[in-house]
Amino acid sequence: MAGKSGRTIAHVPEKSVKKTLLCWESMLVVLFIFINIFGQGISPNYQASNVLREMPRYLAEMFLMLPMAYLLVMGEIDISVGATVCLSATVACMVCNTGVPFIVVVFTALAVGTACGLLNGIILTKFTELPPMIVTLGTQIVFRGIAEITLGSGGSVSLQHTEGFRAISGRVGGLVPYVFFVLVIFAVIFTVVLAKTTFGRSMYAIGTNRQAAYYSGVPVQKYRLIVYTVMGTMAGLCALFLTAYLYGANTTTGKPLVIKKGVFTAEEKGSRRPMSFHEPLPL
Amino acid sequence: MSEYILELKGITKIFPGVKALNNVSFQLKKGEVHALMGENGAGKSTFIKVITGVHKAEEGEMFLNGEKVDFKGPKDAQAAGIAAVYQHPTSYPDLSVAENIFMGHEIKKNGIMQWKQMNEEADKLLAQLDADFKSTAEMGTLSVAQQQMVEIAKALSTNARIIILDEPTAALTNNESEKLYRIVDKLREEEVSIIFISHRFEDMYRLATRVTVFRDSQYIGTYDVDGITNADLIKAMVGREIKDLFPKPEVQIGAELLKIEGLSRTGFYKDVTFSVHAGEIVGLTGLVGAGRTEVVESVCGITRANAGKVLLEGKEIHVKKPADAMNLGIILLPEDRQRTGLILSWGLGRNVTLPTMGKYARMGFTDDKKEREVSKDLLESVDTKAVTIFDPASSLSGGNQQKVVVAKALGQKMKVVIMDEPTKGVDVGAKAEIYQIMGDLAKQGYGIILISSEMPEILGMSDRVVVMCNGKVTGELKRGEATQEKILELAMEKSKREEEGR
Repeated sequence: MAGKSGRTIAHVPEKSVKKTLLCWESMLVVLFIFINIFGQGISPNYQASNVLREMPRYLAEMFLMLPMAYLLVMGEIDISVGATVCLSATVACMVCNTGVPFIVVVFTALAVGTACGLLNGIILTKFTELPPMIVTLGTQIVFRGIAEITLGSGGSVSLQHTEGFRAISGRVGGLVPYVFFVLVIFAVIFTVVLAKTTFGRSMYAIGTNRQAAYYSGVPVQKYRLIVYTVMGTMAGLCALFLTAYLYGANTTTGKPLVIKKGVFTAEEKGSRRPMSFHEPLPL
Repeated sequence: MSEYILELKGITKIFPGVKALNNVSFQLKKGEVHALMGENGAGKSTFIKVITGVHKAEEGEMFLNGEKVDFKGPKDAQAAGIAAVYQHPTSYPDLSVAENIFMGHEIKKNGIMQWKQMNEEADKLLAQLDADFKSTAEMGTLSVAQQQMVEIAKALSTNARIIILDEPTAALTNNESEKLYRIVDKLREEEVSIIFISHRFEDMYRLATRVTVFRDSQYIGTYDVDGITNADLIKAMVGREIKDLFPKPEVQIGAELLKIEGLSRTGFYKDVTFSVHAGEIVGLTGLVGAGRTEVVESVCGITRANAGKVLLEGKEIHVKKPADAMNLGIILLPEDRQRTGLILSWGLGRNVTLPTMGKYARMGFTDDKKEREVSKDLLESVDTKAVTIFDPASSLSGGNQQKVVVAKALGQKMKVVIMDEPTKGVDVGAKAEIYQIMGDLAKQGYGIILISSEMPEILGMSDRVVVMCNGKVTGELKRGEATQEKILELAMEKSKREEEGR
């Protein structure tokens, strides 16, 4: 149904191999290969077996990266993830030490994480004028504070029943840890949802122009709440696999995750725009 | 000495792929107010940038007071006494007015800023413009109109003899525009020459003695304002005759669609009642700040009303969020295209299907192919000037952006369409097209609420005019009985009475 002028507008996307090869994502692949070659060049210890041995800890941290990418795409941030990991790990370890079945421990870790994320989400969606950076900076202190009170200042808790954790820290063929496969599954889910669903598209809409998204009927606050909660759940998952590696938790668990890992790896992955504060919606 | 203070001959400016200006000429007399008109993309802005030395023309000559000049950059133009004031002032919001005025040419003594002297000078300039604020005020706290005054003061502080005003009234209310007119009059008395760009005919008639028209990068002609009719001017600008700027179709008005009853929101509007019928265009007007936008935003679930009812086809509806209103078929085309209407960095297609992507999706997965087809059809149906649906919305002119907003609405289920200032910043050609679409929608039996401050638009398109003032409906006029005077009287009724009461 062309208009009066009969002007037509092209609607078939141009696809070219050159364009695909030159996009920034393929540059990441190139960078990845380059780093591996470079690493092997400068150190004789840079071997596949060593990398695989150290893998579980880094992979566990990558669970945070996935939902963090969503937050960054929306122009949000969660600084409290490290503290959430600490609190989940602490509670999970203490629950585990009471001798309950391992499945209860798993649910505990996830539930604590989810609760933390939900709290962030509720505060941020109830009081839309508050900037996420400030709120999560505050809740970070709350979460870590609770862990600190539970464990005593600078205290720690070590696992007494390690069977369950040992089971999840197993390796396929003695080489590739289970966590790798769990992570791949989650990475695929998170990537597909972000790229292919209306939910994912809404993330970009919220991040690019929150007002326009709201006026277009995108449930901005609902989606923010969901993503913050999922962020918490994934922090719980991270805590589980991290505990399986460390066999315990202490008040500094997850400390280096505060900004370093979670944020920057997520930024590499997902967001093309810098984080920024937003005008609150007229609610 | 030449008769002209500024004269340009045969200016051609080529950007990669396009001739932005093609053999353009222009003459400005001393102490003259000269309007520069043309549709969006006609080359006005590029031309201004050539004068101010931002762009260098490939061909052509420029004479200042009869002497040939060759600006290497904006600094040269400034030194020659040429200054430009833009529609959206480019200022430093955290600095004071005086600091903004003297930015780049501060008064210094041995390298030390002479704040006292600068503040005094600034106050002098502001007094000259009848400004109602001090030089020490923070720029960010001023209104757009006041910020423009600062820009003009800045131009005067550089001893500019030629001031260029780029769409100065686009962001102003009628009152503020009137004030700007007075400033321009004053500048003219002081023999400052002024070039100004505007889409508003009102500005031109009020101020200019001569008008130059550009179209498609070419010089069309220069006319005496007194000697040219509106129709001829439009023809010069658009290149074709627009027989009827307001193609209001005769429509059989149907049943009542939307009724707003006693709607109130504390601090914004109070006890607002009016209704829209099928096929009817209701013009909602009043001065800026009368609460028009606020009322419809509550109807559409963007804000919440405290009291009152909204009825759709006789049934009370409870709209809590924008999605509710959309599902009911109440579609808002927001006033601010850049902030609330479109995602400027996104492609046109995605913008059009943003509210409806859920409709085409399967199990939450978007159907990109279907969306592309739908958005192509919608964009073509409103005649959007675009090459592909992947062009970013920011690449379009105001008029075409508005068409994208319309296309976005057309893709949704519609009963009542609310258009908030649909022709703000839109050139005359695109305006006519938007009115055409509006008329077509009415013909198809949709109810339309047209919010506008433009009197001709309200009078030309509305079946009924609802006038608001200070958050209240002050009157309702039928198409036959509405006149500019009656509307203005109602729009200012309240404030007048208040003044009398004091």
